Amino acid sequence: MIREAERATATTTAGVTDEGAVRSSGARSTLERDRRRLFLPFVLPALVLYLVFFIGPALAAVWISFTRWNGSTDAEWVGTRNYEVLVDDPVFHTAFVNTLLILVVVGVVVFVIAFGLTMVLREMRGRNAVRSILFTPYMVSAIVLSILWGFIFQYDGLVNSLLEAFGMEPVKWLSAGNLMPMILLGMVWINVGLYAMIILAAVDRIPNQYYEDAALAGTNSLQRFFYVTLPMTWDVVAVAATLWTINSLKIFEFIFAFGGTTTDLPSTDVWNSALFVYGMSFGGRTPAYAFGYASAAAVLMLILFAVFVILLRRIMRREPIEF
Amino acid sequence: MTTTTHPSPQVRRGTPAPGTQHHGVLRIIGTTLTWAFASFNVLVLLFMLFSSFKTTKEIFRAPWAPPSSLHFENWSQAWSNGGFGSAAVNTILVVAASSVSVLVIAAPAAYALSRTQTRLAGGLTVFFTLGIGIPTQVTIIPIFVMMAKVNLVNNLFGLYVVYTAVSLPFTVFLLTGFFRSLPGRLEEAAAIDGAGVVRTFVQIMLPLARSGLVTALILNIIGLWHETLIALVFIQDQDKSTLSLSLLSFMSTITSFSDNPNWGALFAGVSILVLPMLALYVWLGRRIVEGITVGATK
Repeated sequence: MIREAERATATTTAGVTDEGAVRSSGARSTLERDRRRLFLPFVLPALVLYLVFFIGPALAAVWISFTRWNGSTDAEWVGTRNYEVLVDDPVFHTAFVNTLLILVVVGVVVFVIAFGLTMVLREMRGRNAVRSILFTPYMVSAIVLSILWGFIFQYDGLVNSLLEAFGMEPVKWLSAGNLMPMILLGMVWINVGLYAMIILAAVDRIPNQYYEDAALAGTNSLQRFFYVTLPMTWDVVAVAATLWTINSLKIFEFIFAFGGTTTDLPSTDVWNSALFVYGMSFGGRTPAYAFGYASAAAVLMLILFAVFVILLRRIMRREPIEF
Repeated sequence: MTTTTHPSPQVRRGTPAPGTQHHGVLRIIGTTLTWAFASFNVLVLLFMLFSSFKTTKEIFRAPWAPPSSLHFENWSQAWSNGGFGSAAVNTILVVAASSVSVLVIAAPAAYALSRTQTRLAGGLTVFFTLGIGIPTQVTIIPIFVMMAKVNLVNNLFGLYVVYTAVSLPFTVFLLTGFFRSLPGRLEEAAAIDGAGVVRTFVQIMLPLARSGLVTALILNIIGLWHETLIALVFIQDQDKSTLSLSLLSFMSTITSFSDNPNWGALFAGVSILVLPMLALYVWLGRRIVEGITVGATK
């Protein structure tokens, strides 16, 4: 149906004669046939690589999670033992809670700030420069951001030197109890730019007349946000929220470099899911190589996050607005 | 159009709506905070750059001040003693090879997926997209064991293979969207002229898709330049390390083994990792931001 219509417009716009139309449709079916013939050769290399490096390993990880295995000796089938131990492991509890803290707390704060920025940036002078600058953390390695973040809040670091310059007492920002909040705050800092940029791109596509109409109706900017900006960017926000969920599970470098080095891991108090898997397999001075146990944690978190993404998509789904 | 845009600022100023006073204050606070946030980013990067030219003593005595004299020896120490020189070469080689290879593999696949309206093509597109949601922590153990079996562990070629593979789902996703947005008419014209599918793809579609390919290339370069977890697991030898690994090991040397740590050299190393990507951003900033946001907003 659609192809018929396309063909019709193609012939009318090209202004070809009937004879031409017949010829072109013949060529098109050749094209169509060639395409079908070449579909597999075009897709196959990517598909093979994808199966070997994604689907195969993901399925293997599920199998490994039911075994005790160090990678060199034969794997020993232990059923659901790894999962049972995991549920009682305080280190995993901490990693689990930290992963969810990152997902929810950092996520909510990032999106609130990102929306705040869209409200401010819409009518701000120098907005383009500010936008570019806010995005810079995306271009910098998370390890570097982590080192800089640590340096800023060291006891003799930048923030305390400022506090002292104003005659205030230095604060122990990086004491053991403060470590996780400081990591969460650092993650807000490095992630806001990306999500603000995504939402801003959507805000830019809203026709200006909606804001003008809303302004004529005497709304303030908070009302304009709730009645224009939010509804018209909702689909993008849903995609961005999904993206954040996926990305938050992948976070590793920032925590790893915040107190860890190539040989030493950071304190288990700040581990998240990725650090737990790394710590139970390859990480540390004497790696544990507990491949089965590490895989169980990885698989469990992936399932949990997959369910979360499905729920999130369902909750945020609504009738699309055409504009 | 112009007649409707003009009155609105007057209306906004002329008839203050209820709560406008309040909202003016909020706006000032918001603008101030936004500028503070932006300034913070700039200051942190300046601090990094300044510190790379300072002595450790100077970094701690006057952290915010520009360097009183330029200690270039920090840079040479990081470059040679810290291993950043060889790591830079390794990183550039692996990242360049992987980000180009993944395009060569993903572009034909994305083209075929976007131009074939069969159920199989639709299903495969979704299937590839799923890979974006599978984190490295899940697959890294099987991939490591697999690569160890073929002796590609602790090997830059092995790292190149893994980097190419892990970049695939995102690249296919991005390029499929891009090819889909191209008009089909030119292909048909090419078919009328007797060009086969392969020639149509190489001579017509690839040049048309150039901006999409460049975007994918840049985004993969950025992602792989910063990759750490895979490198950490796969590479053990110092002479094979990437910039991320060199920075981590230099950090551990400086903080744990030395009585008189040279923080200036550490910041020089940090700068070696950061500046190429910042230069890329200054050069292609808008394209990078658009490339990242286009997938989400389409």
